[in-house]
Amino acid sequence: MRKILTWRGGLLLLAAFLFNFVSRMGDVQAHKEKHTPEQLKAFQDVFMEQVRVGDLLFHGDGEAEKKFGVNLSKTGMACAMCHPFASDTHPHEFPKFQEQIQEFATLRDMINWCIENPNEGERIDVNGPAMKALEAYHYWSNKGSVLDPGKH
Amino acid sequence: MSDLERDRREAQRELNKPDERPDASLRITRRTFLHKSIVAGAVTGAATYGWFPLINTLNLAYGAQAPFSFAWISDTHLYPKTVNTRFVEKATRAVKEVQGMKPAADFLMFGGDLAQLADPVELRLGNDILKEITIKKHFIPGEHDWYLDMGKTWVSLFGNSPWTFEHKGVQFIGLDTVSRAPDYWSATKMSPKERMGHMATLDGSVAGPWAGVGSDQLQWLNKTLSPLPKDRPIVIFTHNPLYEYYPPWNFWVRDWRQVHEILKPYTNVTNIHGHTHQVLYNEIGTMRSIGMLATSWPWPYAPEGVPALTKPMIRANPGDYFDGVGWAKLSVTAAPRVDYEYMMWRKDVYAEAQVDSGTGDNDNQILRPRIADQMWPYK
Repeated sequence: MRKILTWRGGLLLLAAFLFNFVSRMGDVQAHKEKHTPEQLKAFQDVFMEQVRVGDLLFHGDGEAEKKFGVNLSKTGMACAMCHPFASDTHPHEFPKFQEQIQEFATLRDMINWCIENPNEGERIDVNGPAMKALEAYHYWSNKGSVLDPGKH
Repeated sequence: MSDLERDRREAQRELNKPDERPDASLRITRRTFLHKSIVAGAVTGAATYGWFPLINTLNLAYGAQAPFSFAWISDTHLYPKTVNTRFVEKATRAVKEVQGMKPAADFLMFGGDLAQLADPVELRLGNDILKEITIKKHFIPGEHDWYLDMGKTWVSLFGNSPWTFEHKGVQFIGLDTVSRAPDYWSATKMSPKERMGHMATLDGSVAGPWAGVGSDQLQWLNKTLSPLPKDRPIVIFTHNPLYEYYPPWNFWVRDWRQVHEILKPYTNVTNIHGHTHQVLYNEIGTMRSIGMLATSWPWPYAPEGVPALTKPMIRANPGDYFDGVGWAKLSVTAAPRVDYEYMMWRKDVYAEAQVDSGTGDNDNQILRPRIADQMWPYK
């Protein structure tokens, strides 16, 4: 009898432990603490600052280019002259085979192609701050467009 | 229903009265027949994404006294040669081709945006290039020609607008749709360069809805037209289209309703415009409106759709800077017909399928206006 009670007790204890473990799984997060509204706003502010900088670069702002040490155009033209509101850039369609580059390309590849070709500027570091800001502006400007990667 | 669609439906109700019909002397031309077939869905060239009022299936006949042709060049956007020779090359090519027309055109119409930043250097460069054309020339300004010195250099080189003249039975009118921008520069004490910089940014949010005919020109237009017979062929040249295509890029004039009130009694009106850098065609009431190419660069079609009657142009290859651009030849024939021909420098003008025009991407392209010109360091 005692053995049965002990065995059942052990099972109950195990069940209680497992229940407690599983019920707490919803509390498992990537971070130790939940995000506060202030933190979320801070993340958004960082993003929007990059969008602002990307907007300036996209519109040929000389001061912004100097700050990043980039030369996006030697013709006086800016990206926005062919792409008002970043239209016809289709960031939501990348990666895809890009005809002009004749290879499978990402948005960053295409940005550099445009800088070097129609704008006759100097290629920028694909992982550098200027490229990230330009990318942020492209995506923000086209927010809401449905992801359609691979579309020609 | 969005505000834009509400506006368009209001335009449809106002302009497309049930008892209104084009002049009985008009008959269908080949070009307009093609547009009608697009409307019926026979060809997939046009993307009618976004509801656009389908106005009278107008066609046009001019009772011209004798056949003649004229040429149109616009939107050359010249930079000084030290900065950019590409636009100079293209403007020069257009000028050579116009001068080489056989038979010669009766006149050249220059439709604005000769310069990029209204710099006197740019305007004088344009004047020098255009001097190679020896036929009569008429000019209207674009916004890129004006806002550095408020038109001082432009007027000294090319004269004032509006103007009008009669030629072989057709009344030609040139309107200035760019110089009457609401003042966005004084309150923040902008320098002339800053003022011009904001105006030069098509998608900028500072210059606002600058395109307009203005009450003084509306009165002038009314006075100029009122002695004319109602079926007189009238061609109105403007830099901006005389209807509401896409206001955020000033692809309109803000007082287009008043313009159409004045034009309503006239059955043979054609508006030819620049600014949009693309093939466009629309019909509003008894007026048709034709958009001309730029020599400098093409623009994408507006994200909210193109007029239903437009057969869109082929999507330009950004690696080929002669693609998607050119000039135009227009002919007025003795038989009642007007033809226009886009002189695009690459093989194809029109897209045959939506995928070739870029308009097919418009239904998955949600765009937002820029923000940086509303923030530091601009404000």
